[in-house]
Amino acid sequence: MAAWDLTVTVEDLGPDAPPLQISVTSDLHIGGVILKLVEQTNLKRDWSDHALWWEQKQQWLLRTGWTLDKCGVHADARLIFTPQHKPLRLGLPNGATLKMRACFSSPVFRTVMGICRVLNLRHPEELSLLRPVEEKKKKKDKDSSEELYDLTDVPLTAGSVQALYNGMPAHFADSPKTEAVYKMLSVSLPSPAPEAIAKLYRPASIVDKTHIHTRWLDSSRSLMQQGIQENDKLGLRFKYYTFHDMDPKYDAVRLTQLYEQARWAILLEDIDCTEEEMMLFGALQYHIGKQSLSQDMVSSCQGMDDLESALKSLEVKMVGDGNSTDMLDNMTAPELNDHLKIFRPKRLTLKGYKQYWCKFQETSISYYKSKEDRYGEPIQQLNLKGCEVAPDVNVAGQKFCIKLLIPAPEGMNEIYLRCENEKQYSQWMAACKLASKGLTLLDSSYQSEVQNIQTFLSMQRSSSAAPTSQTDESINTHSLVSPRYQKKYKPKQLTPRILEAYQNIAQLSLTSAILKFLQIWQALPDFGISYFMVRFKGSRKDEVLGIANNRLIRIDLGVGDVVKTWRYSNMRQWNVNWDIRQVAIEFDGNINIAFGCVNADCKVVHEYIGGYIFMSTRARQQSDTLNEELFHKLTGGHEAL
Amino acid sequence: MEQFSDDELDHAAEEDSDKEDQDLDKMFGAWLGELDKLTKSLDDGRPEKVKKAPLRQESNMANMAYRFSVYNINEALNQGDAVDLDALMADLCSIEQELSTISKPSSASSHLGLTGDAKVRQKPPAGRSHSTKVGSSNSRPPLASNFSMDDITAQLEKASQSMDEAARQSSTSFRSVGTVTEHEVRSFVHSSRSSINSASASSMDSLDIEKPKSDTDGLQDGQDQPSSEVNNVISYYPTCWMDFFSLSLKQLRDLFEGYMQHEEQAAKQKAEKIRVALEKIKEAQVKKLVIRVHLSDESSKTVMVDERQTVRQVLDSLLDKSHCGYSLDWSLVEIISELQMERIFEDHENLVENLLNWTRDSTNRLMFIERIEKYALFKNPQNYLLGRKETCEMADRNKEALLEECFCGSSISVPEMEGVLWLKDDGKKSWKKRYFLLRASGIYYVPKGKAKASRDLVCFLQLDHVNVYLGQDYRSKYKAPTDYCMVLKHPQIQKKSQYIKYLCCDDVRTLHQWVNGIRIAKYGKLLYLNYQEAMRRTEAAHDWSSLSSSSIKSGSSSSSLPESQSNHSSQSDSGVSETTSSGHVRSQSVVSSIFSEAWKRGSQGNLSHNKDHLGDCGTLPMFTVPRYITC
Repeated sequence: MAAWDLTVTVEDLGPDAPPLQISVTSDLHIGGVILKLVEQTNLKRDWSDHALWWEQKQQWLLRTGWTLDKCGVHADARLIFTPQHKPLRLGLPNGATLKMRACFSSPVFRTVMGICRVLNLRHPEELSLLRPVEEKKKKKDKDSSEELYDLTDVPLTAGSVQALYNGMPAHFADSPKTEAVYKMLSVSLPSPAPEAIAKLYRPASIVDKTHIHTRWLDSSRSLMQQGIQENDKLGLRFKYYTFHDMDPKYDAVRLTQLYEQARWAILLEDIDCTEEEMMLFGALQYHIGKQSLSQDMVSSCQGMDDLESALKSLEVKMVGDGNSTDMLDNMTAPELNDHLKIFRPKRLTLKGYKQYWCKFQETSISYYKSKEDRYGEPIQQLNLKGCEVAPDVNVAGQKFCIKLLIPAPEGMNEIYLRCENEKQYSQWMAACKLASKGLTLLDSSYQSEVQNIQTFLSMQRSSSAAPTSQTDESINTHSLVSPRYQKKYKPKQLTPRILEAYQNIAQLSLTSAILKFLQIWQALPDFGISYFMVRFKGSRKDEVLGIANNRLIRIDLGVGDVVKTWRYSNMRQWNVNWDIRQVAIEFDGNINIAFGCVNADCKVVHEYIGGYIFMSTRARQQSDTLNEELFHKLTGGHEAL
Repeated sequence: MEQFSDDELDHAAEEDSDKEDQDLDKMFGAWLGELDKLTKSLDDGRPEKVKKAPLRQESNMANMAYRFSVYNINEALNQGDAVDLDALMADLCSIEQELSTISKPSSASSHLGLTGDAKVRQKPPAGRSHSTKVGSSNSRPPLASNFSMDDITAQLEKASQSMDEAARQSSTSFRSVGTVTEHEVRSFVHSSRSSINSASASSMDSLDIEKPKSDTDGLQDGQDQPSSEVNNVISYYPTCWMDFFSLSLKQLRDLFEGYMQHEEQAAKQKAEKIRVALEKIKEAQVKKLVIRVHLSDESSKTVMVDERQTVRQVLDSLLDKSHCGYSLDWSLVEIISELQMERIFEDHENLVENLLNWTRDSTNRLMFIERIEKYALFKNPQNYLLGRKETCEMADRNKEALLEECFCGSSISVPEMEGVLWLKDDGKKSWKKRYFLLRASGIYYVPKGKAKASRDLVCFLQLDHVNVYLGQDYRSKYKAPTDYCMVLKHPQIQKKSQYIKYLCCDDVRTLHQWVNGIRIAKYGKLLYLNYQEAMRRTEAAHDWSSLSSSSIKSGSSSSSLPESQSNHSSQSDSGVSETTSSGHVRSQSVVSSIFSEAWKRGSQGNLSHNKDHLGDCGTLPMFTVPRYITC
């Protein structure tokens, strides 16, 4: 067989080095070519990660057993000998950029698996890579100055079981630098400055939302095949909104990143919510941010908690009232006694607070005309069990009111308590809060409740200062809500609203707060719907197709109304005509629909539908092995066959 | 029922003379509070300041309980029915039995090792506990006490300060702690048998005493009744135990004289017994209500309910007793006649807690009745979860998948309910149309002139504090546009109030979709768990009955034939899903077949709800075989 010259560029020789010419025959297999090549470079090093990339055809020559002939390589082919793993800049859900090595030669699905293994993220099938939003070039140079986390030195491990060391996977515990990366991954980042939120791209309409999904990479082809170069930036995001088997014990990174993605989706108005929901999201963000900052201290073990609470309740007893010895002798529960102003709104009365001597005992407030009358019959006793407690606070105006809605057979009694100062307010507020749940001042959470309220008040005090991102306890409430609400409310108006929502979640631990956030996010009506601009067969106008984890939704573009919903459970089959790029779906009852995609590749739509069906096949029982083959079967299309 | 033994009455009388005007409940509460603390420290195995025990104020609740039970009895008498005293007595006896089983010393290895300070403190209750032991220890050798008896004495003094005179004296004479004399054993056996009677007797007395303090209009009515049987029935457990303990304290004095030695092992045993005794005391603290349950045929039953019991438990015991067949649809329905509204209690709810919201002079009623709406959501989820406008059928397998999807995910997906409803203006008899939407975070409406984008929605109310009721005949009461009304209010509100929100739907279907949507938003997965639990019970009853008639089983298997194949759905491989998700699937398919018929019938007239249903009991296949499982 005749020998001919094959031109191969070896990247390791430097950008300016001329390509090597090696003499080959057509029946030489790829492995042989590589061997010849390596010999010719005269470089002694580990070549095991290198492979041949065929530039014109945009494909890898990975089967070392195949001959050049079988691969279709002829003399005109320009091959590049290059490493399969290259550094990539990954934009994480939390907004940080992480530089790490990823596989450029395997299908993106597997590349993501590799990335997730390094990041210690379980269930990589739920994530994928997408191209970043095209930014204006001017901004680019600014970008380079951003803090970059680097994990390129971390070797890719093959095993899926991660040994823990110092509470983190062993490969993170190597150096302070990697430890910092793990911290970034597993602890949610402080709230961004409000300006930063306002500056970022926000989808303004449902049409804008369809653009996001045009950026997903194809899971069945490699990064190189999709034109991704070394050191390019890609986003790593949760793509399929079905989160399987979430377990806080193993999913520190996954939970945090999911929370970050959800948080940004809400801050950037990617998903709509009501004002009440936004306030709750804001309160949860504040709480999570605060808890994350103090997380190191919280890492006490479970056993300590009992002791701690016991000590705390003891402490409450001792501190709760001035004359603690007297109290112990009397064996009474702690109580609060103070002058408060009380106001009971009735129809046709002007607002007027009157001062009374109030006593908080057990779960009730009794009030007396004066301190001297405190041993007599109270004017009224209010049992707060089951009542609604809301703050009505303005620190700047020195207004500290507690609004109580106490249920009674005749309806709700509305009562306002006005406190003199922050200290008094936080004590009484905490007591009211506990009492509404049927707990007394003895409860161990009382002290922390008081503290929570105080820190939140201090936040309002500092909010007039220059807007900064969350550092310790000061925070601008504007950074907790989306720009729409930043515009609608001043921080001064926003803080009481968030404070109100905060009352109900202040006791949550970090993990439960994150889970709560995710839960509310998932309960939003528009949650988990990915939008695509499509044109249905037989229709002349563009419409929007929403793909969720259990259904397809046809949405009228003009009005934004849902026209029709089809559920996967009724789906018999779906096909893609790759020539005319049309997706055809058949449902039970002989319902057939077909559509073409306007701005996205129909492979993305196909992959979304197949992906969700793949997600639903994941068995309930634990199994570490991912059925990669099935995924490709469901999402691959013609390339997979 | 009037078999007070002389002996019993004596005790009661003694009690009273000692008590004078003291508030029994308060005293008892204080004492138990302390015991609670002791138990806790015993369990934790570390010393704790006994002084920390808070005063437990029970009097409030206690009074309510009285009021309540008396009210029910009154009502019964007013109606002229005979109170089902036999049933009540049976209840009481079963509780008694329950108590005595608890008191049997369990042989669980004690982790208490009697060495610490804490154990010493446990001594005094130990003494008391002996009176409750069922004679297992009278043969034990006397033991020498190595413990600081002063400590014990001090503690007991503290504990019994508020107790009667005799008890206080006894504390000074503690010299040892020990076992039970034969006399004591006998006395316990005796008292356990008859404590109920004594309790009822003495509780009546104590009621007299309390009269001036508590608001007792109802009570007086109760007492004026000529029937002594009625008085007999009104019993309140804490009071009963009160007698019991003061009695035993007196006896302790005699008991403790006789023992001089002490051994480690015996001490351990004792510690265990202390624990058991304390548990028992706790048990005694549990409140019980005597309530009256109305049946569909205008008759009624009187039952005793423990404050810890859920609606499901009460339903189970009612079903056991009434032999009316096992069906999912049996419900406890709260009827607030003054407001013309009603609500089916959810199975997980606490019954007593709910009933305590009623006012003393309330005309509310509790019905035990079959209501097809209760679990219609799960029998035909497609009609509720998919937001469709028309009823339709669905293959059982798909129903399962749908339920699984809706209730077993990482979050609850609230059905997308939205549409125009009528809202009653506050204080007026006019109704205004508004476009309402249901979200997990509450009910919202679209303000005038806005689109229904999430950001513009106005919160109508959040669901944490309100329950959803069905309004009855509001067309005439409030000039409602239709009769399909729902009401949202805080459970404690019992009278007309601006805080009650009335909504009116155009048709019955919409009404039930909304009601079920709100239930899902409020309770989420709990509802489904309730249903599955109810299914398990029903299934057990069916399994039993199918021993005689196999028709049910075969019916179920034939109707669960696969109807449609969806290639890619998770359920597509029916064989796999059958085996993997075990019990749930099976119960599902059985239910759907058994109830599909019932539902079909129900869905036609479905929901000409309310009174039309009252006479409906017995339309479902009846199985009179009682439930054989015990949980």
